[in-house]
Amino acid sequence: MKGSLLLLPGMLCLLLSCGPGPGDGTEKVEPANRDTLQPASPEPLSSLYPGVDISPMDMCYYPVDYPKLKMAKSTEAPPKARVIYSRPHLQGRNLFPDILQFNEPWRLGANESTELQLFGDATVKGKKIPAGRYILYCIPTAEKWTFVFNSNTDTWGLQQDVSKDIARIEVPSTRSSQRMEYFSMVFEPNAEGADLLMAWDTIEVRLPFKF
Amino acid sequence: MKRISFLVFFIAGLVHCFLLRAQTLPPVDKSPLDISYYPYNYPVLKIQNKITEPLLARVIYSRPRKEGRKLFGGLVEYGKLWRLGANEATEIEFFKPVRINGKRIGKGRYTLYAIAQEKTWTIIINKDTDTWGHFKYDPKKDLQRVELPVQRSTDITEAFTMAFEKTVTGINLIIAWDNVRVAMPIVH
Repeated sequence: MKGSLLLLPGMLCLLLSCGPGPGDGTEKVEPANRDTLQPASPEPLSSLYPGVDISPMDMCYYPVDYPKLKMAKSTEAPPKARVIYSRPHLQGRNLFPDILQFNEPWRLGANESTELQLFGDATVKGKKIPAGRYILYCIPTAEKWTFVFNSNTDTWGLQQDVSKDIARIEVPSTRSSQRMEYFSMVFEPNAEGADLLMAWDTIEVRLPFKF
Repeated sequence: MKRISFLVFFIAGLVHCFLLRAQTLPPVDKSPLDISYYPYNYPVLKIQNKITEPLLARVIYSRPRKEGRKLFGGLVEYGKLWRLGANEATEIEFFKPVRINGKRIGKGRYTLYAIAQEKTWTIIINKDTDTWGHFKYDPKKDLQRVELPVQRSTDITEAFTMAFEKTVTGINLIIAWDNVRVAMPIVH
């Protein structure tokens, strides 16, 4: 199993190297991916600059809406955490098996790897995660999702360097009655800290943080 | 009667659930967030093993669209502070110390603001991060201001755009929207 997981990035590399090359590295070449369907006829854009992503980026803070709290001067304390992620959407597909496969790592978004910044130390299900920037990815199954904190930041989400994994945490997968078109992440405060709630299609997963 | 009140409660419950969820999970932004790195496209280069220079900078910003509006001298009033994007304040992060307009700027995260004029823009580098727009701008937290000439182009940029380009002396942060383009030199 582990072998096939390791093979996957290698196979992607092979696939990529067969495609058109990136030239001098100055043009934006994005590797093939499954979480985002490219439109059949992209809207016309200014020729000089990158267009707006079909899977737009977003960010969420804990405390929730921290920048607005700060603007309203209702907080003086620094934020605890921030997530920067891209938001693919279903586009008529089902999450499983059209977009994600059980036991295959997923970048938890689209485009660049999803980034978690902890402004102080945090604990997730008993594991201490020191302050810093991480990428988060997951390995989903029908009953539980494994979340991986990894130190290989500022990377594209299609390859994971498992040698830089910091912690792996399993949480149960739950079902929601509401179907989410866009992949969504948000912190939900609770008595002990906050759950990072992730929702897409009818699946919901919560990663519990103590700050 | 009992059945009807049950139904009413059931519907109220559903509406309540829906409202709660609508509140919890964020809709997709009209002005979506985006990120630009220097070296250009660094995350993709990284997985392709094509990195030739170390990570220097990135900018995280929201991308409002022109949508037929008069932007400069209209929506973006001349001489007034502008948040250089939308939503959360625009963030620039340097992964090593740089120089901007002669001043050393240490490694770290900063907020960018602008004051647009017809012929020049002032770009402001401020150390108050993780805030919303420019509504609580504190000039005491400014690190540097730099005045830059406005370049005009016939090419219209619909979505507000920020990106880095390499120059002979270092890099430029390119800011483009509508028919206007401004380049802020960064020496490293």
